[in-house]
Amino acid sequence: MNKTTIISLGFLLVMGVFPFFADSAWLAVGTTFLVFSVVAFSQDIILGRAGAFHMGHAAFFGLGAYTTAILNTHFGWPILATWAPAVIIPMVVALITTAPIIHLRGDYLLVTTIGINIIFLQVLENDLFGITGGPNGIFGIDVVKIFGYELFEQIHMYFMAFILLGITLFIMKTLDGSKFGRAMFYINKDDVAAQSMGIDLRYYKLYAFAIGAGLAGAAGSMFAVQYSAVSPEAFDVLQSIMFFTIVLVGGSASLPGVLLGTFVMFVLPEIFREFETARYLVFGLAMILTMILRPRGIWPAKFGNIPAFLKKGKK
Amino acid sequence: MDIFLQQIVNGLTIGSLYALVALGYTMVYGVMKLINFAHGDLVALSAFAGLTIYTSIFADGGTSIIAVITVFMFTAAIIAVVGVLLERLAYRPLRTAPRLSAVVSALGAGLVIQNSIMLIWGPNMKIFPSDLFPSTIYDINGVVITFTQLMILIFSSVLMIALYLFINKTKIGTAIRAVAIDQDAAKLMGINVNKIIMIIFIIGSALGAVAGLFIGIYYRGITFDMGWMYGLNAFVAAIIGGIGNIPGAMFGGLMLGLFNALISGYISSAWAETFTFMLLIVVLIFRPTGILGEKVAEKV
Repeated sequence: MNKTTIISLGFLLVMGVFPFFADSAWLAVGTTFLVFSVVAFSQDIILGRAGAFHMGHAAFFGLGAYTTAILNTHFGWPILATWAPAVIIPMVVALITTAPIIHLRGDYLLVTTIGINIIFLQVLENDLFGITGGPNGIFGIDVVKIFGYELFEQIHMYFMAFILLGITLFIMKTLDGSKFGRAMFYINKDDVAAQSMGIDLRYYKLYAFAIGAGLAGAAGSMFAVQYSAVSPEAFDVLQSIMFFTIVLVGGSASLPGVLLGTFVMFVLPEIFREFETARYLVFGLAMILTMILRPRGIWPAKFGNIPAFLKKGKK
Repeated sequence: MDIFLQQIVNGLTIGSLYALVALGYTMVYGVMKLINFAHGDLVALSAFAGLTIYTSIFADGGTSIIAVITVFMFTAAIIAVVGVLLERLAYRPLRTAPRLSAVVSALGAGLVIQNSIMLIWGPNMKIFPSDLFPSTIYDINGVVITFTQLMILIFSSVLMIALYLFINKTKIGTAIRAVAIDQDAAKLMGINVNKIIMIIFIIGSALGAVAGLFIGIYYRGITFDMGWMYGLNAFVAAIIGGIGNIPGAMFGGLMLGLFNALISGYISSAWAETFTFMLLIVVLIFRPTGILGEKVAEKV
């Protein structure tokens, strides 16, 4: 058993027994932590792996949440049936909105993705088709019903989110060894060299956006069910900035790094909730300090210059 | 037609404010390749600092030219100092780090400034006194222009022309352009890069401070989190004009201001930002480096 396996098992064990010791407030924090880490991983696919500066991820997260909310409350779909559209719609929207801008370099892409988020938010707030509920959002979203059981308790939500995170971790692990993952890795290291080896930058970056948006949509659907309500301010640019920061503070393209980042950026502020006013001041200082002391994140990915998948053969 | 001309006047006013803020972004980006996310919050800080200076020094109402000039000078000086500190503490240690680390640091710095404003001045909206500038209104064939608007237009034009001359005609300006092109080569030519970056932060922050004060005087209501939206608009303006390019920032600011005013006047202000970003995307599709931006060959 190597170190990674021990750490992963330890993490799963802690997260698995956590709900039996936590009160309801902390259980909600735990559930949201799981959902946010799924979003953070999906952001990591785009930002950390494909290396596309993307600061509008809350739009895709919100799109998933609103898909579930709208289909359930306006059209009476059961939650289970909304899961597929909650993944597919953000994917399609991500492809359509990013296809014209995917060639933009670094900071240009960053600002236009902020733009995607802001446009999404204005569509919600102005209630474009009369189905988003405007600034108040949508209330009264159903619970998941499966085989006649209603999964309405906090602990049910927690374990649904836990399973979602499990699936996400599996996807992330699979990505690493896949053709897509290898291409991503190369693009992130040196996109010019990658291009000259015949890797289609545009195709792989769009691919990353599609997978990332789909995964974020799934998390959004879970988020909508957990709170049984959605509202625009949960998906504003600040939220996007949070996901962006989670990946970089934790360590991009690093599984434990992203989890740690989510913990530091989301759970720690919850712990210090009593220092309401000064909380974000300290938080900002901590962001600066973390970057100065650990520019690659708290727990950076450790593949040095030779990625693990290349080393496999010669042990 | 009157509505159109009126929106042009309003658009140019807000556009010159965007341009002043955009200059701060574009100068920092030109030299450090960093989106200074804290710049918008400096603008907000300036409005609050200016208000406090005004009310504490000139509490007994007597508004004079001297009072207004003092407020502008003091505020610009304070914000310039904050800008230099910002660079020293949050950006300089990260100059050789991966680029996104500096972006996170800038976001953190913005959070620090924004929340400091909230802790010092409170979370509620503060109102600027209305008597800083005389409330004279000029009516030219039905197009109304206030004294404040006139001051904004004149003063920001003067500042922009001065900056343009400074960058293009003086020795320091030449050094700034050299550092923007190639830091290492500039260093080898005996240019003190740290000093140049400091000068850039002084100028950029002071221009942002002037914009912040004008925003306070023009709109009257100021909130601790207003910097983010002004900052984002100004940054979009800088990109539209061609980031790193000083006339580009001025042009982009004025253009975005006009565009915003016409959208608000003829379509709806509820969709203003959506149109702003659509404009940005359209401009970038046709000119990936902005309207006045030069096409730079990629170094491999």
